[in-house]
Amino acid sequence: MNEFKIHTPASSTGLHTPLTSPLAFRTIPEALEAAPASQPFVTMWKNEQEVESVTFGDFRALVSGQAVFLREHGVTSGDTVILVMPQGISLMAVFTAALYLGAIPAILAYPNFKVDTSKYRFGLSGVSANLKAHLVVVDDAFPKELVAHVSVGDRCNLAKTRADLPPPQTPIAPPHLNPDRIAFIQHSAGTTGLQKGVALTHAAVLRQINHLASSLRLTSEDRIYSWLPLYHDMGLIACFMLPLICHLPIVMQSPTNWVMQPKTMLQLISEYRCSLAWIPNFAFQFLARSARPDDRSQYDLSSLRMLVNCSEPVRAASMDEFLAAYQPCQLNPHVLQTCYAMAETVFAVTQSGWNGLTEPARLWVDAGVLRKEHFARPVAPDASGGLCLVSSGACLPGTQVYIVSENGDHLPSGHVGEIVIHSDAMLDGYFNRADLTANALRDGSYLSGDLGFALDGELYVIGRKKDLIIVGGENIYPQDIEEIISRHPSIHDGRAIAMGVYNSKLGTQEIVAVAEVNDERDLQCTMEVERELKMSIKSELGVAVRAIYLKPPKWIIKSTAGKPARSTTREKLLSEHLELSVDAQGGFDS
Amino acid sequence: MTPEAQQMIEYIVEEVIRRPGTQIDENTPLVSSGLIDSMSLVDILLKLEDVTRNRIPAGKVQAKDMDTVELMLATSQRVGKPRL
Repeated sequence: MNEFKIHTPASSTGLHTPLTSPLAFRTIPEALEAAPASQPFVTMWKNEQEVESVTFGDFRALVSGQAVFLREHGVTSGDTVILVMPQGISLMAVFTAALYLGAIPAILAYPNFKVDTSKYRFGLSGVSANLKAHLVVVDDAFPKELVAHVSVGDRCNLAKTRADLPPPQTPIAPPHLNPDRIAFIQHSAGTTGLQKGVALTHAAVLRQINHLASSLRLTSEDRIYSWLPLYHDMGLIACFMLPLICHLPIVMQSPTNWVMQPKTMLQLISEYRCSLAWIPNFAFQFLARSARPDDRSQYDLSSLRMLVNCSEPVRAASMDEFLAAYQPCQLNPHVLQTCYAMAETVFAVTQSGWNGLTEPARLWVDAGVLRKEHFARPVAPDASGGLCLVSSGACLPGTQVYIVSENGDHLPSGHVGEIVIHSDAMLDGYFNRADLTANALRDGSYLSGDLGFALDGELYVIGRKKDLIIVGGENIYPQDIEEIISRHPSIHDGRAIAMGVYNSKLGTQEIVAVAEVNDERDLQCTMEVERELKMSIKSELGVAVRAIYLKPPKWIIKSTAGKPARSTTREKLLSEHLELSVDAQGGFDS
Repeated sequence: MTPEAQQMIEYIVEEVIRRPGTQIDENTPLVSSGLIDSMSLVDILLKLEDVTRNRIPAGKVQAKDMDTVELMLATSQRVGKPRL
């Protein structure tokens, strides 16, 4: 057995007001009710002229107004409510209002301008049917031309809310709820076709926040910065539930706003003196490369206590590049930390930097032995054929991680296997999907589908056993892409494979696909077909594909069951197209 | 075509799209067509600032304002401030 030890966090220094323990509250609304009214809560930054700020008291008033709105639309305790709204205070207020009514909210991604209305397949019909949603809430700026395409089913209504709903004369009181009932649903992937709604209870969320608060050594002086989308666990839990339950301020901008000018993150951290932020691996490189040297002189990052690399496999080179770029901005190297997290465990499983003094552990291993023998054999730093891995830290309290072989046996230290998690902050189940829940859990432990190994009480995550592609921290199911490619008249139905290929220049995976044409003559117009396919994928899923390679019939390798064999087809594609391997140099693609 | 548009097109084809044989013009949709990812817009925005010798203030530009080279140049003219 390879169980992790639980670290005792170092006590924080300084004279700060102690935080109320999240476990003092039975439900999330109870935690919000206890926040001092004058305490700053959300600052939503749009640009230098447009900044919206609310205190906890203001936020409670907004929540009451939205709760009346939901009630007027027939929402009662136990109903599921889907929210499709842009990142901002209104979305947070409607979400919380649903909790106040004992309803179960779920946030889905807001459509961006890339969505083609004629092909608008927002997936809402499927998701709302699966969730048995009572109501879909959109904002008053929701594109009119898309409303007609939002198929919500016979039993589900669509309602437009406004940001300025007046609060009722008597505020909505927090409900008396069983803490073990479902609080909300978070979705585990950005694409919609195979989305699984992860149902989480109030008690599980509060326990996770309690563990996070201790592992991050939170104090009342902390202020969080975030550009993370609220439909993603990192945005929803770390950057919304955590500050709400712990009564901390948060400075936010929307992901679409951030991605245009990533340096605004550093500008806002400097200006608002933020101490905590979470970003996926690619963002470290992205930030290092996207600010001009003369911009950097304006930043003061001395307020940052922790900048946590989370949601994608951690790469040492990405963190080093960020540190080299921003150390002159008073960035302490100990600030860069790591975390392994997922929606199914509410959020974090492990966290590095518990003592606040050390950087995440690094381990140089023989890359060949790791790939072929699935064993982390240490080598000297910078040794030829060596690969530098960064630890994702040690388990949070109440959490155990095991590494198991394909037949479920526990593996010893250093051996690569599937990461299996048992924690006191687990999913209640996949909402309305007992079949998926049964497949994902074994004896109450969650089979993550990720590959990794344990060493000296630390977890090293090295890739995915499942086929999931992670682009910029966002989970993409390859099947969603393959389905769209297969529909093209030139493509042989079912003969397409999508995969993630690590791009070391971007610090994240890019999507690459290969598909067979029906007829070799179709290969004469590959540029045109590729362009049409990219356009369809972009308009339906909102993701860009780097390249789609069109091949003659029977090119894709089939498994014994007659289905396209992913891993062998992938190897064949990479060996034929060396440009893909060149870009991936230095990375470890499982 | 203006020299600025030509410079932008060359940059996008050679440095961002990186697929031999790809041809674009001033009006080719780039993000909405899936030819480029929105993450590539950061580099394109920096290039746009250089080419137009403007500074584009934070939070003033959305991806839809950068979907074609023509839109990019118009955006720089609309929200850009001359670089000191």
